[in-house]
Amino acid sequence: MQKLKAILGYTWAALLIPLAVATLFGMGSWMKLLVSGTGLTVSPWFTGDVVARTVKHDGYETRIHRPVFQALIGERREGFVQVDWGPLEALPAQVDEEVDFDDDGQADFRVVLDTASGQATLTPLTEYVLNLAGTFRLDDAWAMRATLRNPRR
Amino acid sequence: MTAQTETKPRKPGLGVLKSLLLLLPIMLLSFLFLAGGPPREDPLPFIAGIVTWLALNILFFLMLYTGKTYRYRRVLFVALALTLIITFAASILGTRGSLALTDADVLQGKTPFCFLVIPTIIIPALFTRTIIFPGSLLTGFAPIASMLVLWAGATLLVGRGWCSWLCFYGGLDEGFSRILKKPVIKSIDRRWTYLPWAVLLGVVLLSAVTLSPAYCEWLCPFKAVTESAAITSTLILIQTIIFVTLFVGLVVVLPMLTKRRTQCALFCPLGPLQSLANKINVFDVRIDPEKCSRCKLCIRSCPTLSLDEASLESGRTLMSCTKCGQCVDACPRKAISFHIKGTKVGISADAARVLFLYPTFIFFAAFGGSIISSAILTVLKLVTTGSMY
Amino acid sequence: MQGFLLGLANGSSCLAFCAPALIPFFMHEGQGVRQNLVTLFKFLGGRMGGYLLIGLLAWGAGSLLSGAAGYERLLIGIAYVGLAALLLVAVLRKKAPAGACAFEGARATLSRWPALLPVGMGFLAGLKICPPLLLAFTGAASAGSLAGSLVFFLAFFLGTSVYFIPIPFLGVFRRASALQIVGQFAAVIVALYYLFAGAILLIAG
Repeated sequence: MQKLKAILGYTWAALLIPLAVATLFGMGSWMKLLVSGTGLTVSPWFTGDVVARTVKHDGYETRIHRPVFQALIGERREGFVQVDWGPLEALPAQVDEEVDFDDDGQADFRVVLDTASGQATLTPLTEYVLNLAGTFRLDDAWAMRATLRNPRR
Repeated sequence: MTAQTETKPRKPGLGVLKSLLLLLPIMLLSFLFLAGGPPREDPLPFIAGIVTWLALNILFFLMLYTGKTYRYRRVLFVALALTLIITFAASILGTRGSLALTDADVLQGKTPFCFLVIPTIIIPALFTRTIIFPGSLLTGFAPIASMLVLWAGATLLVGRGWCSWLCFYGGLDEGFSRILKKPVIKSIDRRWTYLPWAVLLGVVLLSAVTLSPAYCEWLCPFKAVTESAAITSTLILIQTIIFVTLFVGLVVVLPMLTKRRTQCALFCPLGPLQSLANKINVFDVRIDPEKCSRCKLCIRSCPTLSLDEASLESGRTLMSCTKCGQCVDACPRKAISFHIKGTKVGISADAARVLFLYPTFIFFAAFGGSIISSAILTVLKLVTTGSMY
Repeated sequence: MQGFLLGLANGSSCLAFCAPALIPFFMHEGQGVRQNLVTLFKFLGGRMGGYLLIGLLAWGAGSLLSGAAGYERLLIGIAYVGLAALLLVAVLRKKAPAGACAFEGARATLSRWPALLPVGMGFLAGLKICPPLLLAFTGAASAGSLAGSLVFFLAFFLGTSVYFIPIPFLGVFRRASALQIVGQFAAVIVALYYLFAGAILLIAG
């Protein structure tokens, strides 16, 4: 029994050498396998979640993301929705737009964005829109996040 | 006290020939990792790669030949930490133009992933299938997927040995712990060694509730030397003060005064996770109670407080042992050795040590070597052209 | 989820306070692991009853608070700061305060009904006012509904119970002091978090 344990131990230790080599040389494949196999994505609290709808304007577009209420289990009482306007060079000096983020045909809030300074004002048009969380200048767009109350909670 | 048997001290290390033979595969593999493609016009990357390759292989040869692990590992480990700061700064400044992290950077996934986040992302990933870190999965500097694969592979290879061989921060407090000749604070209350478990529990719970990386946001000392949020509010100012205070206290001052790795042993939450993972690692460090003379030199010298009186009786280190080799080298009676689980203690200690060093060093050469080489290249470019790029 | 995690973070303190009375109780002569498990589940059942009663009281308090619209955040902020400070003091004491474990004194009385003894002990343990419980009370009071408060305390109960599960198994006693130390540190960290959360509520109004 002791001999068997020793053989197993040495074998296991020796196998770690090819494991090290395989991990390092196969990095690219392992990475892709990890992502595709697990379906992992970066949390929407950081990414703003996927773009649900795009509204085309003259030279630029408005990208409305899916609202984010993600909790560990279920949903939170408050979340946000991110809206982007880009590309930067095609934006007018001021963007004044009513946004319908839930695609129910009714505008949910109105945003006026100064694309030079990033100053914005948000006017809620429904009870679920709370306030402006912030504006952010991305590489090729201006982004805005509006705090929302979860209609499902 | 057990009867002392007079044993002829084992000649440390392998002979020159054996050491060179064992070095050859490492030389080849490290060359493949560091060569970085066919020769280019610019000789600087080649010079940086060759310098790194030479340093790695000389140190590995010395480890094999002298039979000493700790002092050569320490050189590499401290070098890794210092060069990480340079490489990190250069990469971030190149891609973002500033070390300060802005909200826009967060939204665009421009934050490089760090291993210290790993404990906090596990529960949210299991429940929501999302990574609660504002990085990029597959692209950019230190993408999430690559760091996770590296960590998983390294953990399978070395378990808690991560903390002394592959963690690119550990070399900082290890370096500071070697500055003074003697400790000013001679003893540390052992209860503090439980703090990392509490930090782990706290940050895991907080991160699960808030779905944000609590350790990065509040407690990481290394934010002081890498990147942190641009100070645009009082909250961020408070967080920055916490980071700097923890860095100065745990990474600089306390290691100097105690000559122990206080950040690693008494605070870092990744350590306990690695300790748990260590249960499935084949390597550990064992003490032969029959050879041990109870001089307690090992207890006094262990940088992570992983040995105590009970260890000498049981022949096992505590679960926080990072396999740094300090006790193995320090023991005057060669009673402590690297060990492969399932085998008899003290038998074929050299074989166990070599089998541990091999995959560990392969990993270090690729992972750490690339960081060291990149830093050398950055310095060379700065010196020769005045620009890091 | 917050209730469960609060229980998980503070459950080791609960165990630490009650371990000197609990462990000998479970170490009764002749009792095997199975019997100890039965006793433990009776104890936890009683404890759950106590916690659900507290949850009911928390909902009542929350309903009273919701009438004071505008002051709710202020009151919860004050409660968080005060209770976090209390928890810090409780944890940093050298030894558990007298009466920290609810059923030390009541055990003699409860012994008259041996079958119900563990249930009674558990119920009293559930009612014992301690800083983690008060923090949970404050959290549950802001849940907004009776179901929310009860679920909060059920989750808190489940979180604390994790630490009691190993009790019937003898091997764990060696780790009891380590668990206690980790629990103390964890409670400090959680207290600091609630201190900060309370301060934010107070500052933001």
